[in-house]
Amino acid sequence: MNTYWNPNQKWLARVNPSLKFLTIAAIFMIYLFVHNFNVMLVSSFAFFIFYLFCNGFSKKLSFWLVAMTFILSVFSASAMVFFGKGTHMLFEWHLITISIESMTRGLHLGLRTFVYGMLGLIFASTTEPVPFFYSVMQQLRIPPKYAYSFLAAFRLIPIMIEEYRIIRAAMKVRGMSEEKGLRAFYRRMKRYAIILLAQAIRRAQRIAVAMEAKQFSMVKKRTYYYQIGFSRYDVLFTCLILLIIIGSWIFSSYVPLTPYNNVLERSY
Amino acid sequence: MSKRLKLTDILVTIVIAIVFGLIYKISGPLYDIVKILGFQAEQLTYGIYFIAAPVAMLIIRKPGVALLAEVAAAMMEVLFAGSGGIINFYYGIIQGAFSEIIFLIFAYKKFNLPVTILSGLAAAVGSYILDYYYGDLVDLAGWNILLNVVFRFLGTIVISGFIAYFLVKALEKTGVTNLVRPASKDDYDVLNK
Repeated sequence: MNTYWNPNQKWLARVNPSLKFLTIAAIFMIYLFVHNFNVMLVSSFAFFIFYLFCNGFSKKLSFWLVAMTFILSVFSASAMVFFGKGTHMLFEWHLITISIESMTRGLHLGLRTFVYGMLGLIFASTTEPVPFFYSVMQQLRIPPKYAYSFLAAFRLIPIMIEEYRIIRAAMKVRGMSEEKGLRAFYRRMKRYAIILLAQAIRRAQRIAVAMEAKQFSMVKKRTYYYQIGFSRYDVLFTCLILLIIIGSWIFSSYVPLTPYNNVLERSY
Repeated sequence: MSKRLKLTDILVTIVIAIVFGLIYKISGPLYDIVKILGFQAEQLTYGIYFIAAPVAMLIIRKPGVALLAEVAAAMMEVLFAGSGGIINFYYGIIQGAFSEIIFLIFAYKKFNLPVTILSGLAAAVGSYILDYYYGDLVDLAGWNILLNVVFRFLGTIVISGFIAYFLVKALEKTGVTNLVRPASKDDYDVLNK
């Protein structure tokens, strides 16, 4: 049996990728219907801690990604905080109307964005494409022609980046990158887009022909080079996630940090 | 002429989706920065997130391509740690499905500019379903919601309507679309002459 796991990876990388994906997709649905500000506050903190201890990125990259997620969360709150509906006014200036309702609803929205961002980072930092697509074939029964297409397409990314560099260098040599103005910008974008897409399509078509020539997808039952299964890490992952979700509910029902138990309520 | 997706169709669709997935990933932070003003100006560029479906559909012209392209592009964004995280996957499914419906209504026979624009607008409508639950959009002041809707639809018409259509028109001149497109009735007519 071939296993893909690299010994230097974090334990989260060994969790079954399909299980990890479905769990995170399910948490998304759960938090879409959480309107309790306290629960959101506690769980966003808990998911942040979880990410800090378990992510697979380098410290520097991790810092920037968390900073980006934080900024995104603040920004996604801004429209609701400044221009949301509400009756208990805190601040009014021309169009800006900050009320208790819009404030809590906006902050709630920001925290929700933060939770989703953290979940996305937890998944992306500990999931490699190869085990992920092998796992969706084996556990979720996605047809191999889809999963292998993804894997083949991933291989094309470095080639596309290389091609982008070549086009840029070629345009520079011919003095075409010197042009200024909107029209030149449009022409430049068009040139890049057409060349990159055309080459990518040609290459993809050739790869597909080559795969079929080698009898890909001709057999009904196939074997896999990598076997992706389940391990004790899956149990640990599921337990930790359940602990965060249930724990944050219990904690906020006993120790409500703020009086806002339902941000959708129209008055407090 | 088979209407089912073959390996070539799937692979080409996913490669196109990867290109747009990278664009989604890169445009994410730019989109987020404009958000801080709260005046919904970022909605003008929202249309970029609907473009994978019409472009792939106009190139390959087979049922299911629009949905596959949009879902694949969204999946790429999640795997590349795009901003917003896991939510992009759901947006991908819903936008792809709505885009697909328009091509389905025209029985996968019409691939002109109005249909392309309609498919983009359908995706925009789809995105509002998720926004309703995610962003509590209805709780914004009236003028702010109006700005949001107008900007998003305008941007969609330009980006995933006009730009998508003319991008594929330009690709047709390179001849690559002939590699992947199923033979049309016109092609057979040429043979019969």
